Amino acid sequence: MSSGTENHTPVSLRGLSADDPHLQPAARNPERVEKVIVFNFVLGIFFGLLFIVAYIQNWQPWILGGAMAGCLTLLGIGLIAWGKYLMPRGPFVEERHEFRNTDEDRSAFAAAIVQRGGGLVKRRKLLTGLFAGGMGVFSLGAVFPLLRSLGPMPKGTLFHTDWRKDSYAVDITGRRVLVGDLAVGAIVTVFPEGEQDTENGQAVDQTVLIRISNQDFTTMKGRETWGPQGILAYSKLCTHLGCPVGLYEQQLQLLVCPCHQSMFDVNNGAVPQFGPAPRPLPQLPIYIDADGYIRAQSDYREPVGPGFWERA
Amino acid sequence: MTDVLETKRSKKLAKGPFGSVGHALNELDDRLGTAKGGRTFLDKIFPDHWSFMLGEIALYSFVILLVTGIFLALYYIPSTAIVTYKGEYLPLYGQKVTEAFASTVDLSFAVRGGLLMRQMHHWACDIFVGAIVVHMARVFFTGAFRKPRELNWTIGTTLLTLAIVNGFLGYSLPDDLVSGTGIRIAYSIILSIPVVGSYIGFWVFGGNFPGTMVIPRFFVLHEFIVPLLILGLVGAHLALLVRQKHTQFPGPGKTEENVVGTPMFPVFMAKTTGFLLLVAGVTALLGAFAQINPIWQFGQYHAANISYAVQPDWYMGFLDGALRIWPSWTFHSFGHTIAFNILIPSVILPGIVFGIAYAWPAVERKLTGDNAIHHLLDRPSDRAVRTSLGVTLLAYLMMLFIASSTDVIANFFHVSLDAVLWAMRILVVVVPLIAYPMTYKICKEMQNFKGAGKRKTTNVVSRTTEGEYVSAASPRYVDDIPAHLAPIPVPTYIEEVQAPANDADGNGTRVVDR
Amino acid sequence: MIPTLLKRSVLLSILGVVSAGPLVLFAQSADAVKQPYQTERANSGTPNSDVVKKDANGVVTSYGNSSIMYNAPSPSLINLGRALYMQNCASCHGNEANGVPEGGSSGAYPALVGLGPATINFWISSGRMPAANPRQVQAMRQKPRLSDAQSVAIAAWVNSLAPSYPYIPTPNLATANVSNGAALFALNCAACHTIEGIGDALASNTYAPSLHNIPAYQVVEAIRIGPGNMPRFTGNLSDAQVNDITKFVTTYISHPQNPGGLGLGGLGPVAEGFVGLALGVGVLAIFGFWVGEREE
Repeated sequence: MSSGTENHTPVSLRGLSADDPHLQPAARNPERVEKVIVFNFVLGIFFGLLFIVAYIQNWQPWILGGAMAGCLTLLGIGLIAWGKYLMPRGPFVEERHEFRNTDEDRSAFAAAIVQRGGGLVKRRKLLTGLFAGGMGVFSLGAVFPLLRSLGPMPKGTLFHTDWRKDSYAVDITGRRVLVGDLAVGAIVTVFPEGEQDTENGQAVDQTVLIRISNQDFTTMKGRETWGPQGILAYSKLCTHLGCPVGLYEQQLQLLVCPCHQSMFDVNNGAVPQFGPAPRPLPQLPIYIDADGYIRAQSDYREPVGPGFWERA
Repeated sequence: MTDVLETKRSKKLAKGPFGSVGHALNELDDRLGTAKGGRTFLDKIFPDHWSFMLGEIALYSFVILLVTGIFLALYYIPSTAIVTYKGEYLPLYGQKVTEAFASTVDLSFAVRGGLLMRQMHHWACDIFVGAIVVHMARVFFTGAFRKPRELNWTIGTTLLTLAIVNGFLGYSLPDDLVSGTGIRIAYSIILSIPVVGSYIGFWVFGGNFPGTMVIPRFFVLHEFIVPLLILGLVGAHLALLVRQKHTQFPGPGKTEENVVGTPMFPVFMAKTTGFLLLVAGVTALLGAFAQINPIWQFGQYHAANISYAVQPDWYMGFLDGALRIWPSWTFHSFGHTIAFNILIPSVILPGIVFGIAYAWPAVERKLTGDNAIHHLLDRPSDRAVRTSLGVTLLAYLMMLFIASSTDVIANFFHVSLDAVLWAMRILVVVVPLIAYPMTYKICKEMQNFKGAGKRKTTNVVSRTTEGEYVSAASPRYVDDIPAHLAPIPVPTYIEEVQAPANDADGNGTRVVDR
Repeated sequence: MIPTLLKRSVLLSILGVVSAGPLVLFAQSADAVKQPYQTERANSGTPNSDVVKKDANGVVTSYGNSSIMYNAPSPSLINLGRALYMQNCASCHGNEANGVPEGGSSGAYPALVGLGPATINFWISSGRMPAANPRQVQAMRQKPRLSDAQSVAIAAWVNSLAPSYPYIPTPNLATANVSNGAALFALNCAACHTIEGIGDALASNTYAPSLHNIPAYQVVEAIRIGPGNMPRFTGNLSDAQVNDITKFVTTYISHPQNPGGLGLGGLGPVAEGFVGLALGVGVLAIFGFWVGEREE
C-alpha cells in the first residue's frame, strides 16, 4: 500500500482491545520476570550507592569503575528485559511510503531551478561570471592564511643538521664523549654540543656512535678518515620514517630500527639489509682530537632522515 | 472565578481522559504543532533483528566518548611548555616533561576518577571504531547500502574515516613515547608526498618536527573540529534512517512496502536505552579492570628515544603492517625522490580501500544492473559474489593488521623475525586469494541447504506409559518473532475494558496500557 | 705471571680481531650460524673509580664507589672453580678455557680467558650456561643449573688464567635515583627491551630478553659486559647512572605500577586491541544477540 500523500498519516487501527494477543507481554510468566527485573534494579541501585561511597572515600579506580559498571549494566539489563518481556510483544507493522513525488512535482522542481536559475545565468552572463570570479578569488585568497600562516617555508631546513666542523659529540647529559669511554661493542646517542637539550636539536641531530673495533675502520671508499679507532657515527634517524634506530646488535653488526624492522649493516656504511628502509643511514665524518674527544669533521654530507621530494 | 461544583474529580475530568500529561502535550501542540508528528514518531516501527544492534554499539560508544571526553578536556592542558613533574609517580619525579604529558599523568594519579575516565574514553574509542567496522560489514553483506540508502553509506564511510583519524589524534595528545613515535611517522608520511610534502609538513607542524604546535593543533582537531563533524554526520545518518525507515530481513508478513517490528515507544526506547546503559556498563567494566595506555610507564616523548614492540592502536594497525612488509621501493632521479615504500602503504593503499568503499554502491549498481529500490535485505549467503569480495577485502586488511605485530609474533612463538616478515609478505597475497573461492563455495553450499542459517527448533521426544514415542516441537523461545501472529498497525487507542472490581479512582473506566 | 698475562692478552686480542672480522661479515643471515664472540674489550675496567683496593701483591681486589662496588672473586675458590669448570664447561669451552676452534662439530665455542669474572658470573648465574641447546643461536635465560656460589667459583678459576675486568658488581640501590634511571632506560635500553621491559624478537633468531625479576647484580653485569648481541656500556655510563638504571629495572620494570587494572602483559596496543575487540565489541554483540530478535 503506497500513497503519495504529502502528510504521512500513518495507517493505524483506531482501537484495539486490551486483551488482544499483540498487547500481551512476551514472557510466559510475567510475574517471575518482573521479580528478576526488580532484583536487577535493586542490585543496580546498590552498585550506584557503592559508586558514590567509593568516590567519597577515594577508593581505588577499579572499585569505582566496577561499581559504575555494575550499576549501569544491571539497570541496562533490567530495562531491556522490561522492554523485551513485559511490554506489548507485537508484532506491529508500519507502511512504507514511496519517497518519490509525482512527475508533475518533479518537473516543477526542476523547472524552478533550471528555468529560473539557468535563465539568470543566460541573461546576465557578465554579472554571474564576475560574481563567480570574485568568489573564486576570495576562496583562493582564503586558503593562504588557512594554510600558509600555519608554519614557515621549509627552504633548506631539511638539508642540514646542527653538526658543524669541530662540533663536540656530547651525550644526553651534555658530557663530551671521550674515545676511552667506548668499549668495542658500545653504542651511545650523541648530539652536537648545545643541541642536546632542545627537542628540535634532538630530533634532527641525533647520532649514534658505535665502536666496532680498536683500529681505524673504513666503511666505504672515500670514508677512510671517518672511522677513527673503530668508532663510527651514523645518523639515528631511520631513512624509512624517521624513528630513532637505537637497536644495536653488536655481534650481528646490525642497527635495527624498532619501528618497522629495517636492518642496517654497520660495516658497509649502514646499508639496509632487510626491511622497508630505502637508503643507508648517513654517516657523520668524525675525528678524535688531541684530548681524546670525538668531534665532527663537518655536517652530514647528505640530508638525514626519510625521503622527501626535494631530496636529490 | 471558581465553579461552585468544582471538585478534585471534576478538575481532573476537565483535563481530559489523559490527565495532566495530556494537558501539557496540548499546550505544546498549541505552540509547536507537535501532536501529529509526535504521534507518527512514537509509532515508528523498528525491525528488531540482533544485527541491527551493531550500529547502536557505535552510536552509544560515541556518546560515552563525548561524556568522558568533556571530563578529560577540563583537566588536560594542550601545551608543549616544559614543566618539572612533581607528582606521585616516582620514576617521573623531577623530570622535565611537557604540560600535556604532566596533565595526563596527573589525570591518572591525582584527579579522583580521572584514571577511570581516561581508560573509559580510550576503551570506548576502540569499541567505537570496532563497532563501526562490524556494523559496516553487516550493512555491506546484507546489501543495505543499495538504493535508496547510498547516501547513508557514504556518510557512514566518512564517519569511519573520521573516527579513525580522531582516535589517532586523541591518543597522540598525552605526548608520551609511544604516541610521539606515531606522530614522527605521520610527519614523515606527510613529507613523502611528492611536490607539496615538505610544505604541508612544515605548515601542519609549524616548522620542522617536532616543533611546539602539533599538540595544541591536534587538540583543536580532536576536541572540536572532528567531533563536530562526527556529530553532524551522525545526526544526518540517523535522520536518513528515520526518514527512509530501517531495512528488514525477508520473512512472513514482511514486504518491500512495510516494516515489521516494535514501536518506538515504549518498547524500542526501553530496549535502546537499556542498551545504552549496557554499552556504558561494559565500557566501565573495561575501564575499571583492564589498564589501557599507561603513559606514565612510557614516559615523556623525546625525539631521540624509542621503544621496541610499539604498535599503533588497532584501527591504525593495517597501515603499520603495510609499512612493515612493503619492500623498499623508491624512485630517485632527476634531483627528486618519490618514496613509494611510504606512499603506497600509507597513502595510496588506504586511498584505494576507502575509495572502493565509497564507490561500491555505484559499482554494484553498474555490475548487477539493479536500479530498483530495496528495503528488504539479502541473506549474505544468497549473494555469493558480493559476500566473497567483502570477505576477501576483510581478509586482506586482517593480514595487514596481523603484519603490524611481526616482532611480537616472532617473540611469542620464538621464531626468527626475518621469517615472520617474509611469511607476512606471502600471506598478505595468498590468504585473500584463498578467501574468495572458499567463501564463494560456502555461500553456494548454504544456498542449496534448506534452512541454512535459520534458528532450529528442537524436538522433544517423550515416551508414553504404553511405550509409544511421541515427538513434539519444543516451546518457542519467548523472544522469537511470534510468526503465528499477523503484524498489525500500532493502535491509536487501547480500548476500554469493562470496569473491573478495582476501579480505584471511580472513573468507571480502566485504560490498560503497559 | 704478569708477563705471561700480557703476552696472552695481546695474542688473544690479535686473534680476536683477525677471526672476528670475517666472522662478522658472514654472521648476518639466519639460524644456527657461528657467532663471533668478541674477545677483545677495551676500557671495560676501572673508569674513574673512587675506591680501589689492592692486595699484598698489588693486584686489585675491588674497586668502585658509593654506587657500585666491584669485587674480585676470592682466590680460595679457584680450585673448586676448576673442578666445576672441568665438569660443566670444558667439553665446549676447552680444558684451558680458550675455546674450540672453528671447524668443530657445531661452530665456535668462544674462548673465556680474559673476559673477566663478571662475564662468567653473568652467563652462569642467569642460567644461560651451561647451554641447554648449544646449537641455538642465542642461549636463553633459564633456571640456573649452578648456584650463585658455584658460578663465582668458576669465575674465580677462569679469571685466574688471565685476570681481567670487570669484577662482580654489588650495586647500592639505596643511593640510586629511580627517576634518572627511568630516563636513561628510555634512551638506552627501551629500543631493544621495550619501554615496559618485556623483551622482544631481534633479527635472525636473536632476542632481547624480558627484564622482569632479574637480580640487581645481573643487571649491572649485563650493562657492563654487553653479553651476546647486547651492546657494551662502559665509560659512556657512570656507575651512578648504571645504579639508577638497575634500581629502575628491579623495581618499576619488574613490578610495574598498574593502577588501571590488569597490565595485559605490557604489550600495549596489541593486547589492548584484542581485548577491546573481543571483550568490548564481542560481548556487546552477544548482548545485542539477546536484545534483538532472531529469524525463525
